Amino acid sequence: MHKLEIKDLYVSINDKVILKGFNLTVNSGEIHVIMGPNGAGKSTLSKVIMGETSYKIESGSILFDDKDITNMTVDERARLGLFLGMQSPLEIEGVTNADFLRNALSNKLGKDFKLFDFIKELEKTTSYLQMDKDMIHRDVNFGFSGGEKKKNEILQMYMLKPQMVILDEIDSGLDVDSLKIVGENVMNYYRKANPGILLITHYQRLLDYIKPDYVHILIDGKIQKSGDFSLVKEIEQKGYDQIKKSSKTGTCIIKEISKSE
Amino acid sequence: MNKIHIVDNVISEKSLDSKIIFNTSSADNFLNVHNLEFEILKDTNLEIEYLNNEEVKQAISFKIKPNVKFNLYETRQGVKNKIQYKFFLEQNAQVKVTKFYNVSSIKEMTSFYLNGEGALANYNFKTISNDKEKYDIMVYHNASKTNSYIKNNGVNIQKGNLVFNVSSIVFNGKINCEVDQSSRIINLTDNKCQINPNLLIDENDVVANHSANIGKFSDEEMFYLQSRGLNETQALNLLIKGFLLEGITFNKRAIKKTINNYWR
Repeated sequence: MHKLEIKDLYVSINDKVILKGFNLTVNSGEIHVIMGPNGAGKSTLSKVIMGETSYKIESGSILFDDKDITNMTVDERARLGLFLGMQSPLEIEGVTNADFLRNALSNKLGKDFKLFDFIKELEKTTSYLQMDKDMIHRDVNFGFSGGEKKKNEILQMYMLKPQMVILDEIDSGLDVDSLKIVGENVMNYYRKANPGILLITHYQRLLDYIKPDYVHILIDGKIQKSGDFSLVKEIEQKGYDQIKKSSKTGTCIIKEISKSE
Repeated sequence: MNKIHIVDNVISEKSLDSKIIFNTSSADNFLNVHNLEFEILKDTNLEIEYLNNEEVKQAISFKIKPNVKFNLYETRQGVKNKIQYKFFLEQNAQVKVTKFYNVSSIKEMTSFYLNGEGALANYNFKTISNDKEKYDIMVYHNASKTNSYIKNNGVNIQKGNLVFNVSSIVFNGKINCEVDQSSRIINLTDNKCQINPNLLIDENDVVANHSANIGKFSDEEMFYLQSRGLNETQALNLLIKGFLLEGITFNKRAIKKTINNYWR
C-alpha cells in the first residue's frame, strides 16, 4: 500500500504563483482525475510532484509513504516508485528506446536486472501496445507520431513498474484507436500492479477507458470542487464557468502570500 | 566494404574494389604533406581509419563521377593533425560523409565543390574535443539544384577548445539550391568554444537554414531522463552517447568503446 500526499502546496515560477494551497491524497488502487481550464496549474502540478527544479516551492510539502520528498531529486523520486507520463515527451536523438530503458531499469533493479527477462518483457509489452517491434531500436521518441510518443510513455510505465503513476494529458494527440489502446493498457497495468493513478486530462473521452474513483476540478491553482464521475458529466454540460464563479480565489502574487503569512 | 587503415601516414591495410581508383604519394620533402587521392567511379562505400602517434599533414581528395553515390565513413585518433579534404562532385553525384574523431589537437579544412547540377553533399561529423580543435568547412554551390547538409556535433572536455567555421556559398545564377548547416557543441568545460555559421548567398532562389548551439544539455532533456530514475551523471552520459552516436552506422562497437572510455 502506497500513499502520495500533497499538503497545502504553494508553487511559483518567475515570481508568479501557480499552485495556491493545493491538497490531495492518492492511495494505491485509487484513480484520481484532475480537470480544469487551461492555465489552471495542472501540468505544473505533475512536474512539481516529479521534482522539476524550475518551479519554486513556496510552502507546503509532498509526501510519499509518509516520507517527505519535497526536496528529493527527480531520480530519487522515480526510484521510489513515482512515474510521470508526459504531455510532450522529449525526443532524444541517438539514444535508442532499448538502451534508455535498459539503463533506467538496471539502475533501479541493480543486480536483479536480467537482460533476457528485460528483452522478453519489452517484446510482450510492445505487442500489448500494438507498437512496431522496431520501435524499441529507434531513438527515444525521435520522429515518432504523437500517438507513438504517448504509447512509448505507457511502455516505459509498464517496464519501470511504478507504484504511483501521474499521467499528464496522455490523451492529447491520440486518434480514436490509439486512445483505446492507451486507455486499456493503463487499466491493464492498474489491474496488474494496483498503483495509485493521478490522471490529468481535458476530455471525457479517455475516461471511457479509465474509470476514476475521484474527480477534482483545479481552477486557479487550487482544487475548487471534488466529486465522483458525475462531476465530469457536469463539467461537460456546464463548463468550468460555474465553478469559477463560485471560486473566491483571484490572481495572486508572491507578495500576497507573504502578507498572509 | 572497401577499407583502408592508415597508421602514421603508412597504409597498414587496404582492401579496395574496382569502383575506386586510389593514388597516394609519400610526404613532400618541403611541406611534408601526405597526399591521398580517390576517384569514385561507381556507387560504393569506403571506410578509412586513421591513427597517428606523431604529427601528420594530409591532403585528401575525392573526385566523384556523375550519377555516383558514395558513402565515406571515417574514424580518426591520434595527436597533432593538419588535414585538408577536398570533395569534387560532378553532375548528380552524391556523397555522404560520416566521421567520428577522438584526436588531440587538429586543424582541418574541408571543401565541397558541388560542380555538377544535382550534386549533393551530406556531412555528419562527431568529435570528442580534449585539446585545440579547429574545423573549417566550405561548401561551394557551383551549379544549380545542388544540395548540402552539414552537421557538426562536438563534446568539449578537459583542455578542449573547439571551433567550427562553416561557410556555404551559393553563387549568383545557381538556382534551386538547398543549403543546411547545423552545429552544436556541448561544452563541459569553462573553455571558450566557437561556431561561426556563414551563409554567403548571392541568389534569391535558394532554401537556406542554419542552427548553431553551444552549451550544455537542456533542463528538459535532463528532467526527462532523470524522471525515469537515472541520476544526473547517468543522464548526462546517456545524452552524450546519443549526441555522439546519432547517425553513426559503421564501426559502432569500436566507437562506443571510445566513448565509454570517457563516459561509462
